[in-house]
Amino acid sequence: MDILKLNNISFSYGKKQILKDLNFEFESGRLYAITGKSGSGKSTLLSILSGLNSPTSGTITYNDVDINEIDKYKYRSKYVGVIFQSFNLLPKLTAVENVELSMDIAGIRDENTPQRALDLLESVGIDADEAHSRILKLSGGQQQRVAIARALSYDPGIILADEPTGNLDEETQASIIDILKELAAGGKCVVVVTHSPTVAKAADVVYEIQRLKKSKKSKSSVKGEADTKNSAESSAKE
Amino acid sequence: MYVLKNAMRNITRSKGRSILIGVIVFVIALSCCVGLSIRNAAEKSRSEVLDSMSITAQISVDRTSMMNQSRNDSGEFDRSQFKSGLVGGLSLEELLLYASADSVSDFYYSVTASMNSSVEAVSDQTESDTSSASADMGRGGMGKMGAGVQGDFSVTGYSSENAMTDFLTGTCKITEGEMVNVSSSDYNCIISDELAAYNSLEVGANISLINPNDENEKYSFTVVGIYSNSQSTVSSEDNMRGFSTSSDPANKIITSYAALNAAAAHSQSVATTTTSDNGFTSSTAFTTQLNGTYVFADIESYEKFEDQCRELGLSDSYSVSSQDVSNFEQSLVPLDTLSQMALYFLIVILIIGAVILVVLNIFSIRERKYEIGVLTAIGMHKYKVAAQFLLEIFVVTMAAVIIGGGIGSAISVPVTNRLLAAQTEAQIEAASSQEQAFGRHGNGDIPGTAGQVQNVNYISQVSSVTDFKVLAELFGICILLSLVSGAVAVTAIVRYDPLKILSERES
Repeated sequence: MDILKLNNISFSYGKKQILKDLNFEFESGRLYAITGKSGSGKSTLLSILSGLNSPTSGTITYNDVDINEIDKYKYRSKYVGVIFQSFNLLPKLTAVENVELSMDIAGIRDENTPQRALDLLESVGIDADEAHSRILKLSGGQQQRVAIARALSYDPGIILADEPTGNLDEETQASIIDILKELAAGGKCVVVVTHSPTVAKAADVVYEIQRLKKSKKSKSSVKGEADTKNSAESSAKE
Repeated sequence: MYVLKNAMRNITRSKGRSILIGVIVFVIALSCCVGLSIRNAAEKSRSEVLDSMSITAQISVDRTSMMNQSRNDSGEFDRSQFKSGLVGGLSLEELLLYASADSVSDFYYSVTASMNSSVEAVSDQTESDTSSASADMGRGGMGKMGAGVQGDFSVTGYSSENAMTDFLTGTCKITEGEMVNVSSSDYNCIISDELAAYNSLEVGANISLINPNDENEKYSFTVVGIYSNSQSTVSSEDNMRGFSTSSDPANKIITSYAALNAAAAHSQSVATTTTSDNGFTSSTAFTTQLNGTYVFADIESYEKFEDQCRELGLSDSYSVSSQDVSNFEQSLVPLDTLSQMALYFLIVILIIGAVILVVLNIFSIRERKYEIGVLTAIGMHKYKVAAQFLLEIFVVTMAAVIIGGGIGSAISVPVTNRLLAAQTEAQIEAASSQEQAFGRHGNGDIPGTAGQVQNVNYISQVSSVTDFKVLAELFGICILLSLVSGAVAVTAIVRYDPLKILSERES
């Protein structure tokens, strides 16, 4: 069953159309890559998926519920975890405080919260010392891990990542990709916007956005059959 | 809960910003505390003095009003019209009528006459000075009756001991014998210790009071008591200015109203009257002046009294005045001036403080735009972000207000007293210069003749000025300030788009 579904999504900045009639489907337990050249609308699509932006037309359903019917703040704090390219962590807080804050916002704090936050950070490769360090004292790779831990902190069904390896060296990129793959394997729906061929290669399904044409490449035969009605604007590759 | 926790964490981790806002609020709170305390002191002093003072008032002829009434159609003063409209003092019946007004809580009266005596008046003047002063001091009275010749003694008959304010205030004290019985019409009197010593008089001695218009008309009074007067001093300067010896407190003879009134009635019955060419009638009877004193429970009653008198038929030629009230108003002038200055200071401080806080918050919000973007992007509601920012401002403000209010209340008393002392000194100096400009020496020994300034006991000390009311006002003002400046933060937070903020940061 599709956890997230885009129905004829279009988006314009004034008179300039960025996205037109996109019909994508995302399932749990898969890693999706959205690729495309700069300015093709990848990040815009991600912002729409994360509820930070609204499409000009079309609908997005989350578990068959139109996300317009869900409070945007609740949607962002409970249902989707967003990993930003520049991490967007709060520099005045420590790594663990950033994760805990996210849990607070989701309203799931209990007495185990500090320990869960530490465990979560440890699971993405941040040890206890690093967890209690201010964000600015951590490296880019460590910050990205903290951002992943924050996105996972309230156990959302969908993880959205915008160029999660964009600012990282190859070694760190590889470890981040491993984490994302593990998350998908663990049942999350992971959607990654990326330029990186490595990430795209690691993805189960790749949606390529090119000049309002959809390119769909799927390692999954099921997904390879999907969404042919927008073929005028996009093409699927396998 | 996490909003408060986050706010507290931000305050402690952004020390520079918190301290800066704190210091500004502290200065505002300190200034406000002192300013409000000064205003409170003025208000408190006013009500305390009003509560403790007994307000007395007199009805007297209002010459200004009479002169205004004596203007012709072109607005020029008409002397003949003025003279024909002259009114005398009120009779006892009239005074008693006005004493029936609801606002009056007590009423007493006294009668004063200027007389000569068989004993010699206390004087430090030479014989020639005394005679010229006493012989020529004819009183240009307001009545149509000629006032006659001024005597060397001032004889006052009281209706009640309550009317003897000098004894009530402790200025005068019986040192020998006893007080005259005010309800008796016996010719008894008390005299000053100076007069007694000057003439070797003792309790039980008889003195004759003589009509200054007719030296054969004598009234024999028995001295039943001798009193001392702590303010019984007259400078040679006063005598130089033409005061008769009767103005000297040492030459004041006190008796009962009934006794002096009986003597006056007798004097009237034996008097001869003559009418001059210009129509004025003069009599050889010694003249008396009746003084009614109305006592009021509070200032409101005093303020109502004049209207009630008008309703009872008091003409516009008379007015109600109170030396107590005017002295009271005078005594508060420095404190009121200081209070007014404190108000202006307070307004300026609040305006400047509000502007600084608003500007500071604008910069702070711009600096924290990214934080707002992140918090809203990860799902924190804008109203919670706004609440967190407001809480931060509020907590810092409260801490600064507590410190500022504490220090302010500690220093407000000495600061107020120091400012008040300076203000009082300036007030005395200004009034003194004014008196000197009018050619008065201004030592104020004899009220009504010299400057009033020195007779006024200015409130120059306050004991406690910061109370719960001041602190409540202080907190109210500072909470309002923090809300006003915090409103800027809230407006910005509501307006900001997280996606735009984060995109700008990434690009």
